Amino acid sequence: MSLTILQPGVQMTLQGAPRVGHRHLGVPASGPADHLSMALANRLVGNASTATAIEVTFGGAAISFDKSVSFAITGAQSDLILAGRPVASHMTHFAQAGDTLRIEPARKGCRVYIAIAAALEAADFLGSTSTYLPAALGGRAGRALKPDDTVGFGGGRNVSGLATPRDLQPVCSNSYTLRAVEGPDYPAGAQGLWDSSFNVTQRASRMGIELEGDFPRSAECASRPSSAIFPGALQLPPGGRGFLLLADAQTTGGYPHILQVVRADRHLLGQVRPGDRIRFLHRTRQQATDALRAKQALLSSWLPDFFL
Amino acid sequence: MTHPVITFCGDDALRFVVTDQETRLARARQLLATGDWREVVPGRKDITVQFNPHEHTPATAMAHLSHNLATPAPHLSGTAETLELPVHFGGAGGPDLKDIAARIGLSEANIITRLLAAPLMVEMLGFTPGFAYMSGLPETFEISRLAQPRQQVPAGSIGLITGQCGLYALAGPGGWPIIGRASLSLFDAASPTPFRLQAGTRVQLVEATPP
Repeated sequence: MSLTILQPGVQMTLQGAPRVGHRHLGVPASGPADHLSMALANRLVGNASTATAIEVTFGGAAISFDKSVSFAITGAQSDLILAGRPVASHMTHFAQAGDTLRIEPARKGCRVYIAIAAALEAADFLGSTSTYLPAALGGRAGRALKPDDTVGFGGGRNVSGLATPRDLQPVCSNSYTLRAVEGPDYPAGAQGLWDSSFNVTQRASRMGIELEGDFPRSAECASRPSSAIFPGALQLPPGGRGFLLLADAQTTGGYPHILQVVRADRHLLGQVRPGDRIRFLHRTRQQATDALRAKQALLSSWLPDFFL
Repeated sequence: MTHPVITFCGDDALRFVVTDQETRLARARQLLATGDWREVVPGRKDITVQFNPHEHTPATAMAHLSHNLATPAPHLSGTAETLELPVHFGGAGGPDLKDIAARIGLSEANIITRLLAAPLMVEMLGFTPGFAYMSGLPETFEISRLAQPRQQVPAGSIGLITGQCGLYALAGPGGWPIIGRASLSLFDAASPTPFRLQAGTRVQLVEATPP
């Protein structure tokens, strides 16, 4: 039982749970750049939230099924075509053996998630199947999927149809307002950070997103001895452009860490694409915790095993 | 004993400075062993812990870390492991040795002799999986990063920058000038402890016998 990659798009990888608890070994989290969307896709096919699924950057991909199985698609906004007929995202569908699924280029958002009602075969590293491309760990031999790859799956199921409740479907946009707290290297007098909007450059990957705009240029912004750094951090390298870290971000860094996008909003980072605009909303740490708990409460009845 | 000052590092992490290397390692091990933290990451001068904000508010996390730090870190046993690491210096595996020698005005043989005599110790793993930052190099080595980082540095490569020696456990992109390659594998993907080097490991470089 397997599916075959006909067209992987810009980048197609297998992702599962993040690798938690290994950053002191230099091992980043990895896992889906937008872990909420992947959990929602898995929910529609009866999988655990962090079951291995397929992440497709910018859509523009096609796969075929050699055996009938249920699947669901979430994430970036794309037209979806199963065996020549349009199908909707955020719903369970059933592919017959031989069917081709096409994902058109994403109109908004950056990453599409395909969940299959089965256990996708992927290499385990430190308890997770997530692909980390720079060091070739996890997934399919640590690399992106290519045309003609087959991904085996065990125990393919036909599950009864579900749809994500409308108020839980994340909205993709070209402009994001992200709640953030001050980072450990927040520069004095950086009020402008909260009043500006920043443009996402072409330099965007699973490691991070480059932002250009009116960043502070202060003497404070010199490199410092390497310290831990996490996804959601906004670093300010000497070039004057910000770098917002994602799931594959390095574990330590020496650039000033000026803001931290709050945990409640980090899933949105996986949908930001070049050309989008970003604003930051100033929050206190207590507000960040309250926001997390509020969003978690909203999600918990539909996704009982998912944590932001 | 005075406790270090704890500061916030974003909305779900805390940081405190520990400049002494042995104390930092002992603290990091102690905090990892508690199982109270999602991540415990030593830096070059500090330790950062990430907490689970579904369990902790910022205030309770701060109180909990203060409580952890009230117990002195147990002394590391004096018998830290010393790993003998056979290295092929220069040649195809150490493409930058010649350049470094020219820049710091020593012969290649002289640099190798000093490296073999250096009491190296892994300060931290970081940046990329298993990349080991080692201290103990002669201070006279003033070496900067490559102007143009390499797309691909082979696993086992050993690099030098001022005051530090870096070891690539895995192949990957890298900006350190490379002087040699270890002939011992430092990574086993199937092992629960996949990286041979850990923070605190002492490393003795030895010259590998030519193949």
